[in-house]
Formats: sequence, C-alpha cells, structure tokens
Amino acid sequence: MSEATSESVQQSNGKVETSHHPETDPKRKDKNYYGIPPIKRAHWTWQIPIYFWLGGIGAGTQLFATVAQFLGHEDEALKRASRYTVLGTMLLSPILLIWDLGRPERFYNMLRILKLRSPMSTQSWSLFTFGNLGGLIAARQAAEDGLLGDNPLSRLVLRLIPARLLTVLVLPFGLFVGFNTGNLISATSVPIWARNWMLMGPTFLTSGLSTALSWLSLVLHLGRWGEEKTLRVLHRAEKAVIVLEAVLIALSLARMSRWSRPLFSKEVAPLFVGGTLLGGIAAPFALLTGKESRSKSVLASVLALAGGLAFRFAMIIAGRKSADDPEAYFTFASGESAPQPEDKV
Amino acid sequence: MATGFLTDTTVCIGCKACEVACKQWNQLPADGYELTGDSYDNTGHLSGTTWRHVAFIENPKKRRLTGDVDLVALAEDVTEPLPGGAELDALGRWAFMSDVCKHCVEAPCQQACPTGSIIRNEFDNVYIQPDICNGCGYCVPACPYGVISQVPHDGRAFKCTLCYDRQRDGLEPACAKACPTNSIMFGEVEDLKQLAEERVQELHDKGYTQAYVWGTPEVGGTGGIGGNHSKFILMDEPESYNLPKHPFLPQEKVKGGVIASAVAAGVLGAVVALAFRD
Repeated sequence: MSEATSESVQQSNGKVETSHHPETDPKRKDKNYYGIPPIKRAHWTWQIPIYFWLGGIGAGTQLFATVAQFLGHEDEALKRASRYTVLGTMLLSPILLIWDLGRPERFYNMLRILKLRSPMSTQSWSLFTFGNLGGLIAARQAAEDGLLGDNPLSRLVLRLIPARLLTVLVLPFGLFVGFNTGNLISATSVPIWARNWMLMGPTFLTSGLSTALSWLSLVLHLGRWGEEKTLRVLHRAEKAVIVLEAVLIALSLARMSRWSRPLFSKEVAPLFVGGTLLGGIAAPFALLTGKESRSKSVLASVLALAGGLAFRFAMIIAGRKSADDPEAYFTFASGESAPQPEDKV
Repeated sequence: MATGFLTDTTVCIGCKACEVACKQWNQLPADGYELTGDSYDNTGHLSGTTWRHVAFIENPKKRRLTGDVDLVALAEDVTEPLPGGAELDALGRWAFMSDVCKHCVEAPCQQACPTGSIIRNEFDNVYIQPDICNGCGYCVPACPYGVISQVPHDGRAFKCTLCYDRQRDGLEPACAKACPTNSIMFGEVEDLKQLAEERVQELHDKGYTQAYVWGTPEVGGTGGIGGNHSKFILMDEPESYNLPKHPFLPQEKVKGGVIASAVAAGVLGAVVALAFRD
C-alpha cells in the first residue's frame, strides 16, 4: 500500500497526483474505503465448528435410530450405541456453546424468549429439547443396562420413561439441531454463507448424517458389537449419504459461485479440498466401494468423521475471510445477488 | 414517534467533534493509538466502542495538475486558463462522512438476537439492553453495515443507543449537539425525511446533481430492511463511504432454509430406510 502511494504522488512523467483514493489512484482499481471490511466477521472460535460437528453426529444418530425402530430392526447394540451417542453429544454441545459466549454466566438468557426468525434462538430451544429428551432415553437405557443399580430410582425410570415413544418424538428436534447449524450461518450478512441459504441446511444435515453413520459403524466395528445386518445397513447407508453429500457440496459451490473463493484460498484449501473433498468424501467412498473388510470400514469411518470436522472448520474460516473482503460484500450487496424479499422459496 | 439522524455529508468538515462527544458522553474506552497511514481517519470503522466514525474520502475532480501550477490561483478557485497549460478545477473535493448505527426499520441485529436483548425502545430506536446481552455475538455478522461488535474484556455487544438516556431527558444526542456545522441533525424521522429531500433539491439546484439520500427503501435500506432511521446525504457511490448499495435482511430466507432442510431430512430418512432393505 505505502509503496503504491509514494509512487502515485510523484510519477516519472512529472504529473502530480494528490490522492490515493481508489477512484483517483491508478494502482487501486477497487472501489471501497481503504480496504476496510464494511461488515464485521463472526468472532466464533474453535468451539463452534466442533459443536456443529457434534450436533450433526447427534442428529444423524437419532435419525438412524428412529428409522431402525420404525422398521422393527431391534439390535440392542445399535440401540445402546445410538442412545449413549446422543447423550454424549448433547452433554458436550452446551458446554462448547456456553464457553464461546462473551458472558457465559448469562447462558440461560438464551431461553428467555422464543424467536422463530432467529436461528440462534430456535437452535437453543431445539438443543434444549433434543438434549433433555435424549437424556431421558439414555437414562432408560442406563437403567436397562443396570448402570443405575437396583434401586427405586432405577425401577421408576424403567416404569415412567417411554423410550420408544420418545425416540419418535425427539426426531424432529434432533433433525432441527442438525440442519439449523447450516441455516444459522446462512442467516447473516456474510456473502459466502448468505448466498447459499437454500442448500446450507441440507448440506450440513447430510454431512452430519454421514459422520453419524460413520461413528456408529466405527463404534460397532471396534467393539465387535452389533448384528451382521446392522453393519451391512450402515455400510450401504454410508455410501449413499456420502454421494448425496458430494452432490450437495457441488451444488452449493455452484450457487456460491464467485463468493466461494475463500474455500479455495491458501489457508482454507487444505481443510476444504484436502480434508473434506478428498479425505472426507472421495477416500471413504473409494474404501467403501471395494470388497468389504473390517479394517477398511474402520478407516473409512475415521476419514469421514475427520472430513466432517474439516468441512465445518473450512466453512467457518471461509466465512471469516468472506466478511473481511470488501469486494465480496459490495458485489454481493449491489443488487441481484443478495436474497431479496420477493424471491420465491 | 420515531426519532433518528440525518447526516448531511456535504457540510461535514471532518472535525470529529461527534466522535469525541460520543466517546465522552457514553464513557466509551479508547481504541488505542492506531495510525492507518491511509488518511486522516485513524478510527477506521464503527465498533462496540466507537459509535460515531468520521470517514475521510479524498476525491479530487481533476486528477492531474500539470505544468507550472499557480498554487495561489488554485486556492482562490480561479478557473480561467492558467499559465503553462495547467489544468484544474479548484482543489477537488475532500469528502467527510460521519457514520453511525443506521437504526434500521427492520433491524437484522434485532431479529438475530436470541435473548431479546436488542429491542426497539419508545423512540423506535434499536437499543441493546446491556443487562440482558450474553455476548453470543450473533448480531455482529447479521448487521449489514458492520456497526456492532463485541467489546473485548467485556464480552457483550454494543452499538449506538441514539443517546437513549439523553432523549429520555429531552436532550438531543451528544454527537448532534456537538456538531458545529449541523451536519448531524436529530429529530423525528418524518421531519428529517422531508428535510433531506429539500436539502437534496437545493443541492441539485446549485448544480450538484450527484447528491442523493442514502438509507431509504430504494438505496441503502433495501432488501427487506425497509429503510433506516439514520439517513445520509451522500455525493458519491455508497461504496466509497464503505456503505453497501443494496443491503438485505439476512433473516428473509430463514423460513425458506428450514423448508428446504425439512425436505432434505425427509429424503435422508428415505435413503436410510431403503438401506435397510436386503
């Protein structure tokens, strides 16, 4: 910058220029205010992408568990793994989210009101509901497993908690937690996120389901638990969902068009291209398509899980870069590209 | 009754009295001694601790001064041919603009706020209740003008309150009070709207046809925001002042996103169910 300025003040032909405003400085074609970002980026640090990842795993696990129950597939190992997984993710998620607050001691204000237009508000409420109902289901499971001991409380839990009914009731809240992680970031002024408002939720949910299936498959394989059929179903579902995830990411990139550039920048490309596209989608798919074997399945699961985490970090960091780029925001907020009220859903 | 600002940038002299008055009245902490090296603007942008910011835009009309320039003639605004074939039309224009929270009619920050901390007060201003805010930071990327930010070491988000406390006592906001050229005008939005139109007409009549009002439902308050209670009279493209031409309400698409996601959830459920078939 300083170099360009000193040159433009006294050019070699003797012509004097008095300004380095973008309009008058021949070296600065960009039309903005000294390159200062016109919008502020989100402060979100590492807790948020990890929460997005855990929330996706919880949501996908619940989807698989509910479908299995609905189709009458009674595999005790699957039931146990999925119920404890939901409990685990829903214990960690609020901790990460509260940690990220500027005033953590006031976390309860999140449940002060319900605002349907604020994805952050609906996210808090769905997380609250999913976590509590999931906790009840897991308590029932713990009582069945004898973890609560043989006491009146345990008998009360077994008698009072209708786990099968709750497994159905909790699903919409679980799914909401899963896709709302995407809708949450798209309801901002950040070009790369806002541009993709329609596919952000579906992409995050699909990626969440992919990581959830991988997680269940990993746990059942490592513990040598679960029926043969469960593992077969997981294997098939993993493969199909990875394909869907790849399609949705491709469509998202097409929709983001020029504003997707931060995903391919020097800092984010290793996470997005290397971690997500190659490591989290292409490699697991290749491992899953060949001859089935336990070790290949385990490796595919680990890669898909890591890829899901890389995808969330890539999206958050790309959003930061997108918000810091005046050119991206001004081209986005100059007319047709931004979402308009009269747009059809 | 809705109150707001009209900032007429054509009479702003860049004295930064508004910045100082705002900092003093609202007891805002210093931002450090940062030198941008770009212009006399070392504040840079609005933030949680800077609720008024004067932008300095250097914008000469004639770009080149060639030959033997008579600087005295230049300063005296002489327009007849100058010796040595020097070309000029005065010293050009140095634009200043005192930026502030836009107090949107449909405020994206208010819609984003999950705690209900951001409200519209009795003056129809967008106000953050500091005793409710828990510092989630979601209003920060929601703002299409980059007004709000979280204050370090405090954690909460802050922005211009339109001097809620002063208004309750029947006083005008500190920045408007301090402005020596009346570039910052405070009053009822309807009055200010009329004043802005009259002022733009006056400028057009004087030959400054590039003057326009920014912050209306046509420019600067577009895309579902429905206009701003803080309006500006600008002389250049909004981007030169670091303002978007057609910002949008980010929450406009929340419903659409949820519907699309629900469809996706149905499809994924079906895919998982199909995987159960042997």
